[in-house]
Amino acid sequence: MINPLHFDIDPARLPELVAVALRSGGDWCDLFFEDTVYTTLLLRDGEVSSGGSHVDYGCGIRVLCGEKTGYAYSESTEWGNLVNAAKAASAIANSNSSYLQKDSHNAVMAVNSMKKDWRESSASEFVPVLQAIESRIRAKDTRVHKVMASLAWQVSEILMYNSLGETIRDTRPIGSIVVTTVFVKDGKSEISNASRSFSVGAEMITDSLLDGLVEQAVRGIDERFEARRPKGGKMPVVMGAGASGILLHEAMGHAFEADFNRKGQSIFSGMMGKPVARKGINIVDDGTIAGNRGFCRWDDEGTPGQKTYMVEDGILRSYLHDRISAKFFGVAPTGNGRRESFRYNPIPRMRCTYMESGADGTLEDIIASVKKGIFVDQFSNGQVKIGEGDFTFYVKSGRLIENGRLTMPVKDINIVGNGPRALADIVAVAGDLRIDDGTWTCGKEQSVPVSCGIPSVLVKQLTVGGE
Amino acid sequence: MITSAEKALTRKCLAMAAEAGAQKARISLTKSSMNLVSTLNGEVDRVTSCQDRSLSIVLFCDGRYGSYSTNKLDEGDLRIFIRKAAEMTLLLAPDSCRDLPAPDRTVKDAVRGTELEIYDPAFETITPEQRRAFALDNVVKPGALREPSLLGKPVEGRGSLSGATDWKLISEEGEYSDSDFHNYIVDSQGLVAMHSETSFEYGTELTIEDEGGNKYSGGWWTASPSLKEFRPEEVGPAALKEAVDQIGPRGCRSGKYTLVIDSEVSQKLVNPILGALNAYNVQQKNSFLADALGKKVFHEGMNLMDLPRSAGELGAKYFDSEGVATENHSVIENGVVREYFVNTFMANKTGLSPTCEDVVRPRLLPWSADGKIRRTRQEIIDYCGDGILVTDIEGGNSNTATGDFSFAIQGYRFKKGKVAFPVREMLITGNIVTLWQNLIAAGDDARLCRTKLIPTLAFKDVDFSG
Repeated sequence: MINPLHFDIDPARLPELVAVALRSGGDWCDLFFEDTVYTTLLLRDGEVSSGGSHVDYGCGIRVLCGEKTGYAYSESTEWGNLVNAAKAASAIANSNSSYLQKDSHNAVMAVNSMKKDWRESSASEFVPVLQAIESRIRAKDTRVHKVMASLAWQVSEILMYNSLGETIRDTRPIGSIVVTTVFVKDGKSEISNASRSFSVGAEMITDSLLDGLVEQAVRGIDERFEARRPKGGKMPVVMGAGASGILLHEAMGHAFEADFNRKGQSIFSGMMGKPVARKGINIVDDGTIAGNRGFCRWDDEGTPGQKTYMVEDGILRSYLHDRISAKFFGVAPTGNGRRESFRYNPIPRMRCTYMESGADGTLEDIIASVKKGIFVDQFSNGQVKIGEGDFTFYVKSGRLIENGRLTMPVKDINIVGNGPRALADIVAVAGDLRIDDGTWTCGKEQSVPVSCGIPSVLVKQLTVGGE
Repeated sequence: MITSAEKALTRKCLAMAAEAGAQKARISLTKSSMNLVSTLNGEVDRVTSCQDRSLSIVLFCDGRYGSYSTNKLDEGDLRIFIRKAAEMTLLLAPDSCRDLPAPDRTVKDAVRGTELEIYDPAFETITPEQRRAFALDNVVKPGALREPSLLGKPVEGRGSLSGATDWKLISEEGEYSDSDFHNYIVDSQGLVAMHSETSFEYGTELTIEDEGGNKYSGGWWTASPSLKEFRPEEVGPAALKEAVDQIGPRGCRSGKYTLVIDSEVSQKLVNPILGALNAYNVQQKNSFLADALGKKVFHEGMNLMDLPRSAGELGAKYFDSEGVATENHSVIENGVVREYFVNTFMANKTGLSPTCEDVVRPRLLPWSADGKIRRTRQEIIDYCGDGILVTDIEGGNSNTATGDFSFAIQGYRFKKGKVAFPVREMLITGNIVTLWQNLIAAGDDARLCRTKLIPTLAFKDVDFSG
């Protein structure tokens, strides 16, 4: 008989395990069972000659005692090992309160949302996909020296059970394609990166997806060979729609995560209900976009995924909460309690963070309004110092703006700024919101998949690195 | 420690791989445990306990290659997993460059796993109470700022943890952890090797606020493979000093300055070089050091060693993930590139001589343009006179293909050998090769708790934007 909970555990014994974890007291206990299979295929030097699969299986047990956490995990679901992990997690509590066992009547079983389940596919189906990507890129540009393309998919079976007797089952897929292309011209090399990632099954692989990847791989390569570093300094920055959402993630999103605010560390601590941006600006963290890399049907504490307005009409309305911070601030959890795997306890994390479209015309209108500045549209990594609010992100490509027109291509520069100041300095927002579907991964203590988006915006002043 | 039964299971996987159709295979068992106690504002905030075991399995089937891993170690599950892995491998294209390393290159002297003296049996005797004590005893206390601040101000009495005067402590997070790690590796050509290590670590992150409500953060950490040499008491005062020294940052005009970079972050100026020396990047033409082997690319004062066989030092290793024996040797000698990092696959692909797959424990040797070695950061600041001291790199990147870099920095303007004021929201930009051609001095102050021993460095004519 197929176990409806997927895992090799008797459902009737879950309350017993929670009771062990709460034997020394505590306000809350949750169990997080995970069975993940991760598979990769890699095309290099014209051949799909490398691949593999990886299995990660186990159960994390968490006990909350006020705001304090006890955490342990077991890589086996044998009863003895689970009990040992529960005892280790119980070490955070030291009272003799008794836990009243609940019956697990409140069970929610997720349907598998994949139209084409990765696990029912053979790796041989996807070899031609990677080969097609390389041949299409080579057909577009004769300067292509090497193409490396990878297809990776993972499916996680999740079972959550908590001390309220709630049971939640979820099936979580993620598929990703990453393409790195090396171009050589006159002895000089340039690299382009393109990626797509979705929380769906193998149905994500379509001709139009491959077309988009190929177009992104070759886009702007002429400009990259010509690009130079600009003169550095403070200047207006126009951020193109889509990937520029990294500005929101680094400069604001992290500082809105409620653990930093609970501890008083964030530069936005104490700003709730106050204006932080121009009127009309709305900034959202959204776990409800089906298929998006940041989609959360439930977060990793069992809270349903939500769309959370952090900034509404310029006013700071909500932090991003897990159960601990929600209890501390006396609000409902926002579904942001996320974790990398059963090996980690959940903490407040972003999902898909974006700014809603504005009413300041088009990208062209915004560029035309800038006398001297910089336009940026492709990025790699970013970072923020939560207390000071200082953020940085690396710009892979863009152009100078001179007298309202795009001129010299620029590349390999950093932009730095201060979160609250940059947010207040957004003076124009176009009506062209775009969510970027690249392989964004946030690395706050643990790695979790996220995404970001933004309409084209003008930031009055940021510091740009240069000669 | 890895038990006899676990070793037997690992060896049995070689037989399972052969049964599944693999002509060659490598199996590596890793086993680790970690215990952690973290504090928030002087109270225990989180306790964590974990044990991990995982097998990684590399298969070579009919000229094809696949890499797999699982933490489901039941023998029946493993047999099914390896059979499916072999089936998947056979779906891939053949690659004649994939192979196990030649047996004469693999390690022979890692038998017990403890030969490098970085496994401390004291790990097995630590109690939960001792862990709590380590975490709580090292919480930052009033009067913790024992050393004078970088700016030379009398910090004792300048502020107190109660917030009575210039600054107050907003939050303090401390974290004590101890861990052990074991690796048992075998291959179908006779490789058998063991590695064991322990680590005791303590770190602090804190946030302070000045009278104007501005926040500043500081962090410090230490680690040791030996409990006896573990010094967590140094961490809190160092973190507090770092935060207090940042109060009152000022702007600094963009331009060329002498850069002195602290040993805590200087490895970020070496990492792009290590990446460019990887044979994979060289083969892909994604390296600014392609065609550099044997050539003088950097300043003659640059001498970078790899010292993986340093007994008793954190990160030391006798073998890499292929089982290839490590050796102490020169990577860059008097500015000349002596080595690419070439694993078996890349050696077969490029014709380069195989080495270990990567640098293990790099150490940059001390040097000074005038021949007089200056070991500490202050000695190097004195030598340089005017410039900007960088104490943190907060993001940025380096283009592997061109060596062009841009990093956001935090640090201090110094004049006439004295630190004048903190600077923030500044960037350094340039090219890694040009930067290292402008090396002025390399100190001798890298902390042994780091796996990369890169000291305080000084470079002339670096572009700063702010």
